[in-house]
Amino acid sequence: MGMKGKAIEIVGFTKKFGDFTAVDNLSLDIYENEIFGLLGPNGSGKTTTLLTIATVYKPTSGDIYVFGHSASREDYEVRKLVGIAFQEPKAMWIDKPIDLLNWHARVVGYSGDEAKRVVREVMELLGLWEHRNKYFYQLSGGTRKKVELAKVLIQKPRVAILDEPTAQVDVLSKHALWDVIKKLRDEGTTILIATNDMFEAERVCERIAIIYKGRLRALGTIEELKDSIPRGDVIEIQFDGLLPESLRSELEAYGRFELRSNALTIYVEKGEEKVIDIVDLLKGGGVRVKKIMVKEPSLDDVFTYLTGAKLREE
Amino acid sequence: MSVRISGFIREAYVVSLRDLRRFWQNIYWLAGQVAMNIADLVIFGLIFRGLVNPQLIPDYIRFITPGVLCLSIFISAFTIGREVGVELRREVTHYLVSLPISRSALVAGRILGGVLRGFIYQSGFIILAVLIMGSPTTEKWVLTITASTLLAATMSSLSITVSTVTRDFNLQAAIRSLVYFMFFFVSNVFYPEKALQARLGSAAPIAYYSPVSMTVSIYRYCFGYLQSVDLFFNLTGLTAWCLISILLAYRLYIRNLTR
Repeated sequence: MGMKGKAIEIVGFTKKFGDFTAVDNLSLDIYENEIFGLLGPNGSGKTTTLLTIATVYKPTSGDIYVFGHSASREDYEVRKLVGIAFQEPKAMWIDKPIDLLNWHARVVGYSGDEAKRVVREVMELLGLWEHRNKYFYQLSGGTRKKVELAKVLIQKPRVAILDEPTAQVDVLSKHALWDVIKKLRDEGTTILIATNDMFEAERVCERIAIIYKGRLRALGTIEELKDSIPRGDVIEIQFDGLLPESLRSELEAYGRFELRSNALTIYVEKGEEKVIDIVDLLKGGGVRVKKIMVKEPSLDDVFTYLTGAKLREE
Repeated sequence: MSVRISGFIREAYVVSLRDLRRFWQNIYWLAGQVAMNIADLVIFGLIFRGLVNPQLIPDYIRFITPGVLCLSIFISAFTIGREVGVELRREVTHYLVSLPISRSALVAGRILGGVLRGFIYQSGFIILAVLIMGSPTTEKWVLTITASTLLAATMSSLSITVSTVTRDFNLQAAIRSLVYFMFFFVSNVFYPEKALQARLGSAAPIAYYSPVSMTVSIYRYCFGYLQSVDLFFNLTGLTAWCLISILLAYRLYIRNLTR
């Protein structure tokens, strides 16, 4: 990462709620001005990590440092550096976006008139202005998420934490929001995004940490993570019926494979050459093949390879 | 140090603005409360005026007006706790604790929000009291405002305490109703102190040491219904209620804010 300093330093961070360990001994660094992704399925510990960085939770052990300030001992200093867009918008049914954001602007330091100007600019940028006087319960899920993002854009913090920022947002708006997020980074903000959307992670994030069941499973750039699968290609085969036990050992000879109901994922080298042999093997075992696909590994494949689980349960 | 104090005051003030805005949004609730308080005054005043022993209460309207004045600030300052409770349950609190303000300023701002609600709501009833009973002297205005401030801070803090003392919603609602009922009815708002001492027996101290009773006594003195009152007892008592309530609210709210 060249000469970039550390924006966030997570050191042996563990968070427990009673007997349940949400995050287990997590350590990683996030550098200034990068867009960093925390990738993992629901319940993997992403949100707990983000909320601890935002000083909503206190670490059970270990610590998190934001530009050198300890989240557990210097929480006030940390809050001055961090802005967060929550996964679930935090508002009451009676709130209106314009009131929420005007107040937020005052809290983060703008004076009255200046606050109104900045709020209008940000609301217009995100297409929220027409919704400004609606009650929160009247807004769609995507619009509520935009209100959360608006808070961060108004604040322009040194570290922006975005928890699933485009969940429930329509496809067209997603692309616009990703551009807004990148522009925020260009203006000097370090961005930490939690997502279980593999496409979002590939599209926006420069480095990614894969978290599963509270533990760090992999860390690196997207290319580094894809290269971490020891074999180069992924063959996906959909079939009817059951896979006979006798075929399993023969399939293992080609490489590691994952079986999920009627879908087989095999990690192999030179997939184009081996796919014919594998299909012949399946047909010989009485398996009726419906669909075959050979592709380069995606982040989803990396995740499945590392954890044996899917990012989004189908 | 002075920068830190001015920062704290600014943060607490900005937090209180949010609670003030929400107060005006509950316009139907407000209208209902005003109607109820005026009904207290009219119904109790008109019905009991000729019924009550004139040796105990010479003029029931002049007797009840300071009581309603007190109820108005108690009821409005107490509303803050209900919102704090709902926010904790719906995790809106996560947003509040992530903001670049100190936790102490956040708690102080919520208490201040309740106090300001109390003053705004009470202002109309103060005008009504002046129309019915005449304007107090300057010294007595100062005394009235002091008592109002102490009671509003007490009720705002107590309502936050009740909302944060337990995470069990049903238990919280029960405690809230009990506290509200105790302050509303077991006080000298509707009944003279002599009658309370005679009829309530061992429960009479509850009314005697109630912050509502203390405030009503001060109001009755300031607005000329009583010729004298134990100012030291009432002001010291109110101050003690205020400090203990703020301390409790601070500790319990902070405990709920940090996990």
